[in-house]
Amino acid sequence: MGVRHSCLAAFAASCALALSAQASPAVTRSTVEYAVPAVTLVRDDGKRVSLPQEMDDGRPVVLNFVFTSCSSICPLMSQVFGEFRRKLGSDAGQVHLMSISTDPEQDTPTRLSEYARQFGAGADWQHYTGTLQASLTAQRAFDVYRGDKMSHAPVTLMRAAPGKPWRRIDGFVTPDELLDEYRQVLAAK
Amino acid sequence: MTASSTPRRLLELAGLAALLGFAGAAAASNERATTSGAAIYRTGILSSGQPLQAEREGGIHVLGGAAACINCHRRSGLGMKEGRRTIPPIAGSYLFHPRAGTEDDLDLPFVEGMKGDRDPYTETTLPRAIRTGIGADGNPLSYLMPRYALDDAEMSELVAYLKTLSPGAVPGVTDTVLHFATIITPDADPVKRQGMLEVLEKFFADKNRFTRAISPRLRSSHRLMYQVNRHWELHVWQLTGSPDTWQAQLHAKLAAQPVFAVLSGLGGRTWEPVHRFCEQESLPCLFPNLDLPVVAERDFDSLYLSQGVLLEARLMSGELQAMRAKTPLRRVVQVYRVGDVGAAAAEALEDSLAEEGVTIVKKGLSAGRNLATAFRDVAPDDVLVLWLRADDVARLGAPPAGVSQVLISGQMSGLEQAPLPAQWRAVTSMTYPFDLPDKRRVRVDFPLGWFRIRQIPVVAQQVQVDTWLVCGIVSDTLNRMVDTFVRDYLVERVEETLEHRAVTGYYPRLALAPGQRFASKGGYVVRFAGPSGAHVVADGDWIVP
Repeated sequence: MGVRHSCLAAFAASCALALSAQASPAVTRSTVEYAVPAVTLVRDDGKRVSLPQEMDDGRPVVLNFVFTSCSSICPLMSQVFGEFRRKLGSDAGQVHLMSISTDPEQDTPTRLSEYARQFGAGADWQHYTGTLQASLTAQRAFDVYRGDKMSHAPVTLMRAAPGKPWRRIDGFVTPDELLDEYRQVLAAK
Repeated sequence: MTASSTPRRLLELAGLAALLGFAGAAAASNERATTSGAAIYRTGILSSGQPLQAEREGGIHVLGGAAACINCHRRSGLGMKEGRRTIPPIAGSYLFHPRAGTEDDLDLPFVEGMKGDRDPYTETTLPRAIRTGIGADGNPLSYLMPRYALDDAEMSELVAYLKTLSPGAVPGVTDTVLHFATIITPDADPVKRQGMLEVLEKFFADKNRFTRAISPRLRSSHRLMYQVNRHWELHVWQLTGSPDTWQAQLHAKLAAQPVFAVLSGLGGRTWEPVHRFCEQESLPCLFPNLDLPVVAERDFDSLYLSQGVLLEARLMSGELQAMRAKTPLRRVVQVYRVGDVGAAAAEALEDSLAEEGVTIVKKGLSAGRNLATAFRDVAPDDVLVLWLRADDVARLGAPPAGVSQVLISGQMSGLEQAPLPAQWRAVTSMTYPFDLPDKRRVRVDFPLGWFRIRQIPVVAQQVQVDTWLVCGIVSDTLNRMVDTFVRDYLVERVEETLEHRAVTGYYPRLALAPGQRFASKGGYVVRFAGPSGAHVVADGDWIVP
């Protein structure tokens, strides 16, 4: 794994979340290099796929981690993805939105595709499940694993192209902010 | 996300409201408001029939079920803890309590996220919070809280409902005693029954060993939580007669002896009437020992360890589809006893293969009928599926000539202890909806040691270990709930915390979440290692079908 965002940044993020129960938590942004683990996942269409291959098709990737039984933050994160995609308009096909399940034993491809439909996902936004181990490996590789699925935090990751570093956003962003962030990442490419 | 409530409940509330109409117009109008408020809270449907509408920061629109309060604040209204985020309680008493000088002054059961040092919400500030996201103290609420478009009438309905959510006296809970029931159907296996009851009785005796006769009522203080050490009392509800009489029996038993929750239990061919009873009474029914649970994931009150034989049917379906990918699959012959749980499992397997173009033959034998009759016209390239109990398995005789592929239910036949004759072992794969014996050894040794010390004979190991496990889950969850005895909250806390358990007995992992009703979701396909003995070997990894 490459340069991890500093412990200080992680500490600041956790403080921000802990102290701001009443207001919008501060959003922290960092640029990080992650080694994409060579795990096999199962896509919402039932096909077994390699995670690095899914990420390395040349398109920019926007990634998050959700589970379908999550009733508070995941629907919001998925809605932000859906709205982001809508705002991209005709550019939507140029980016690959990926959502990896943190509850793969419950989230069968059928459940995932039902969930995806609710949020208006299309061919350019895919959901992934797989074995528990594969999901954990992916979560750890992107430093989003927090002990169990109920302890997850809102994290969005994006990368302009294979080999480029990841932009990591800890905290809640609006669709407009996400779009802005995405354009910056593309411009930096 | 859809709310997990059922329209039936709302109809019941409506019925209740109608009954109360006799008590006076004011009361009736209040009840009507509460019913409409319940619909807003639980399903996101307004009394006009229109979906509830709300908006979040960044112009994100939420509608109907996705906007319903229940998603985050839960059915109890007591909120939840998700990672570092705490969703606060919004049951009326938590919103309207007067500002407390110290936490000692806060005379409310402890819930994560409760705030004592805040001005109480008022008739003005609560609607403002719901509509504009500004809290009682004038600060903005969390970004997770949507801003709702409710007119004054709808707002009063919702607030009326929030007031009804406040924890109060709970049937089955006194200052000194917590009452539990365990339910046993008349067709339950008598050996498992005895094994389960011994574990339950010893667990309750252990639990009560250090309880004083009378405990004073204590409250939380500066987050040092003093819990009243209540005596746990177990009531064994043994049902009799036919299943269509069970619900009435259970309602009568509950009326005679209120209980806080139903713990463990043992079923036979059907559990449906018990499941329905628990839903009707909003009574948590936690992890009964069953081969065939009730699959109704929109229901709330019943939690199960796994889907039992229905999980096995899905494992078998996967096996059959894998077989078919290699060689043509002419016919699947399923053998079961009429009136046993295998009938439902056979039907589930048939349904799962309906679109696969495989011929399925179901042979249901009535009790006492010779098994050989089911095998008469079995051809060598048929796949046999056996949904049989150990006594039938022991009498299988020789497999039909030429048959080379047999699948058998491990749950029904006794797992690695199944008395499968030697000739069958070479051709049979068993679905095994538990962790493998070698892998679970350490996790199961602990309860087995516990049984040994308490001189509990091990007569039905898996049922007894599951029973012990469930007692531990409920006991640990109640400890964490301190003295907040709310039935819905018990179910919610189990949903949220089950995943943290390290001791999971026969299961590699147990996990739930809001809306999930089955804690273990997979299994293995195994074969016997030799012509005799209880050594089984997995064909592959843990499968979640």
